[in-house]
Amino acid sequence: MTIPKILPRAGRRRGAKVVDANERSIISASDWRRRGTRGTFTVLNGVLLLVLVVFGLGPILWLAKSAITPTQDTLQSPMALFPHGVDWGIIVTAWTEVHIDVQFVNTIWVALGSWIVQIIVATTAGYALSVLKPRYAGILNGLVLATLFVPAVVLLVPLYLVIIHPPLIQTSLINTFWAVWLPAGANAFNILLVKRFFDNLPREVFEAARTEGAGPFRLFWSIVLPMSRPILGVISVFAIIAAYKDYLWPLLVLRDPSVQPLSVRLPTLQKAIELDVYLAALAIATIIPIVFFLVFQRAFLKSAGLGGAIKG
Amino acid sequence: MTTVETPPIIDLAAASAAASPQRVIVQRTRKRNFGTWVRGGGVSNLVFLLPMLVIFGAFSWYPIVQALVMSFQKTNLVTPAIFVGWDNFARVLHDPNLYVAIQNTGYFALLALIFGYPVPLVAAVLMSEVRRGKGLFSALAYLPVVVPPVVAVLLWKFFYDGRPEGVFNTILGWVGIPPQPWIQNAIEAMPSLVLEATWAAAGGTVIIYLAALTSVPPELYDAAEVDGASIWQKIWHVTLPQLRGVLIITLILQIIGTSQVFLEPFLFTGGGPANATITILLLIYRYAFQNSLGGNYGAATALSVMLALFLAALSLIYFQLTKRWSS
Amino acid sequence: MKSRSKALIAGIAAIGVIASLAACSTPAAGDGKVTITVVSLIPGSDQSAFDAFDAQVAQFEKANPNITVKSQEYEWTGPTFAAQLAGGTLPDVFTIPFTDGKTLIENGQLADITDLVNGLDYSSKFNPNVLSQAQGTDGKIYGLPTAAYGNGLQYNRAIFTAAGLDPDKPPTTWAEVRADAKIIADKTGLTGFAQMAASNTGGWQLAVGSATRGGRLEVKNGDSVTVTADNAGTKATLEYLKALRWEDNSMGANFLLDWGTINQAFGAGQIGMYTSGSDIFTNLVQSQAMDPANYGLASLPLEGKDAGVLAGGTIATVNIKATDAVKAAAVKWIDFYYMQKLLNKDAAILDAKTLSEANQPVGVPALPIFDKATLTQSQEWIKDYINVPQNQVSFFLDNIFDQPTVAEPISHTQELYAALDVVVQSVLTDPNADIDALLKQVNTDVQALVDAG
Repeated sequence: MTIPKILPRAGRRRGAKVVDANERSIISASDWRRRGTRGTFTVLNGVLLLVLVVFGLGPILWLAKSAITPTQDTLQSPMALFPHGVDWGIIVTAWTEVHIDVQFVNTIWVALGSWIVQIIVATTAGYALSVLKPRYAGILNGLVLATLFVPAVVLLVPLYLVIIHPPLIQTSLINTFWAVWLPAGANAFNILLVKRFFDNLPREVFEAARTEGAGPFRLFWSIVLPMSRPILGVISVFAIIAAYKDYLWPLLVLRDPSVQPLSVRLPTLQKAIELDVYLAALAIATIIPIVFFLVFQRAFLKSAGLGGAIKG
Repeated sequence: MTTVETPPIIDLAAASAAASPQRVIVQRTRKRNFGTWVRGGGVSNLVFLLPMLVIFGAFSWYPIVQALVMSFQKTNLVTPAIFVGWDNFARVLHDPNLYVAIQNTGYFALLALIFGYPVPLVAAVLMSEVRRGKGLFSALAYLPVVVPPVVAVLLWKFFYDGRPEGVFNTILGWVGIPPQPWIQNAIEAMPSLVLEATWAAAGGTVIIYLAALTSVPPELYDAAEVDGASIWQKIWHVTLPQLRGVLIITLILQIIGTSQVFLEPFLFTGGGPANATITILLLIYRYAFQNSLGGNYGAATALSVMLALFLAALSLIYFQLTKRWSS
Repeated sequence: MKSRSKALIAGIAAIGVIASLAACSTPAAGDGKVTITVVSLIPGSDQSAFDAFDAQVAQFEKANPNITVKSQEYEWTGPTFAAQLAGGTLPDVFTIPFTDGKTLIENGQLADITDLVNGLDYSSKFNPNVLSQAQGTDGKIYGLPTAAYGNGLQYNRAIFTAAGLDPDKPPTTWAEVRADAKIIADKTGLTGFAQMAASNTGGWQLAVGSATRGGRLEVKNGDSVTVTADNAGTKATLEYLKALRWEDNSMGANFLLDWGTINQAFGAGQIGMYTSGSDIFTNLVQSQAMDPANYGLASLPLEGKDAGVLAGGTIATVNIKATDAVKAAAVKWIDFYYMQKLLNKDAAILDAKTLSEANQPVGVPALPIFDKATLTQSQEWIKDYINVPQNQVSFFLDNIFDQPTVAEPISHTQELYAALDVVVQSVLTDPNADIDALLKQVNTDVQALVDAG
């Protein structure tokens, strides 16, 4: 089967280097050569960098500082730098007392499962609603979007009852990761993103594949999925970060400390442990997603073909 | 799928439908039997829809229907619920806090729109022009999104400390501004919450805009330059129109999101001082959990139903209004 | 009211309690084996405390071979309670604060254990005022009070010294409290007197202040309850706060404090005085790292007719969806784990020993569940293990037993407290707050809820 030349812009990102060379933005090379423009933008860039450092990095640096500052100093003069010295022992206490290792493994499981479920639901649903388009697609689409309007907090009790008596399966899902994984799949935002991305894929490709005899499964697996890597990257990051951050729902269904992720365990411990140890534990727990993000940032931002997904 | 065939002549609706060729096709397809349904892709459609139908059915639509039913019931969550008609709705509508909450939620949404909406756009446009270290810029912008909300709120409580030694007040002191009460004051509380919420959410939107900016066809800028357009003119006539699809979506998503603002008032102020930051979702939470201890879930669901209907209506109107510009 | 968690910590195991005492309490649970789920300790407690708890469970199971006990760590939150209640997944034994007892009983969410309690040989010994916290309007019993406390004036001895005040002469009238608060604020720049105002604790502590001036927030006539938030005691309390805040400026800069955050600020040495339960010492030294030497507790000044001290405490209750056999086993567990250490010498000593070995406070000031003699007796048993500096809390203990105690409002308690939060916050953040109008509004709004049932 020949690969057609018409690919969505997003798809082009795969040949990253070539694209980069051609890339241009609002300011042209000739604009840039003008002294006034360059000066203005250098200043603007500097200001922007300063703002980003203060607001993006500042809070995290403050947290890092507090992780090695005794409680009394943090409370009495939050902005002072180590008035009574640095106490590295706090970090050690936090690591050993809070069992971050156990909770960290749980966090990975929770994020991984939620991610897989979300990817499966979003891609299959997006494909069915955008490419296969049965007659009732419009109604289903409306039903999916309607879930955005209902505040999640009021669904806690009805949803909890489903988890205790899940349909078909007769056993309660409480204290199993399934209780977090499965509801995570019901994410309308994901389906919205994927469907809009698929909507913008060129129909010619599908027609060509169909004339060559590809069925709906082949079309999905060999054509649509490979073309949707950018949007899958976006959803993956959103899914994993959301799973990492979620608090109230996992608190309800994961009551057993041995299955709780960090986002649940740490706030639960707040009342029982000292503030400096708590801040240190929070600092450790915050570093983890940051490292994750920085490691995957390149892949994520390069492949962020979201423009294709929500354009038009 | 085989249905009883209605003679079209005696059916007025069908008769009028016969005038429209499209409807005739619909009529015909209804007559397909199971075999043609399968051959037409009915099975594979269902297979692909199955994950969504199961997951949404069990974990979203079914609980929503349950909540809808509960909005007409009185329940203590133990004994069987009793249907009480519109009582819950009446009770909510008689709650003086409701109107304060609606005002506050509207105020939050408005402030978030004025301050929070343009910030990511301006930042993204500026960042897209950065020549070196783009990755550093976007990483910095995205960092707050990665911070778990529990951590973020704890940090900002320290920042908003009303004492002169508080983090923000110390910084204000460096430039000679007197200490501010921040969240301790009915007037400053809401803008303070908006500031934190913007900080927490802007990074995600920046990433979306950055991605959208890269998909603006470069030819359009080239063409504009041939016409002698300045940088501002290029932004105004090329960039923004090209982003309108994204902007329209992010705007409505932001309105839906801010209408459901909960975490900030819940964790920072608990709705205070003196109800200055009580929001609709906070009121729902109080009905359901805080004050009646599960004894008033009906009121919580009733208010949720009203909010959902309002948002649905708003979205419909919005998409009707923006239809013309978005294509 | 937020002392739910501490009551649990305080309830840590005594290994080897005499089995016979536990066994003589209730009739046998019937035939067959029963498994009950009970709450243990708050999350994050020391491993040694959990070990001690498990040892106690083993002891209980040995004495009751038909009962298997499963434990889970426990912390009360609104959403988890509601969801578990609806799902029938609540532990069979769990604890609640006095504050929520009446509402849960009114909602029909707690199990009736009247007959089982009456089967206990000490059921007639309860202080009737304390037991009434676990009783419905029909007189039925829905739980057993396991700990009680009175509200007191908490003060920081180090700050008193720094301000030139004598920490061994805490203020005894509200006027002295105000004068001392002003001195602290002027001399040290710290908060002289702080007031809880958020998460319904504003209403709770307003009820405390109001009671010390003879005010009651609700009055019961026969079957009907009248909301009387605008009573003279409440008004006087609010005027008092207004004067401290706006005339003296001695209340600091944070006016959205609740139980947790005010303890944090006090533990960090930022607050001179505040009112709270007499049992908060545990939280202050364990979670806030406060130096016990700085802790001081005095009794509240009582002024005028009907003045009293608002009391609070913890009730152990049973899951309403439990079967009769489970209910019987659950009450046996409550008797064994929570009650025996108040009544039995060996149980009391082992409990205190375990607590002190786990570096937990022993001898936190409490009010009697039964009578004063029983409480004094049990304090006598454990005197070798008491590690709370008794001379620093004597200004509370010397008076509390002569002060009348007042119970919390009984109808729609949390809703009333939530409405009063708004009033307290208004007074503290708005110099022009109209106290009379605000209280009148609370009366109207909460009375409507009460009348609606």
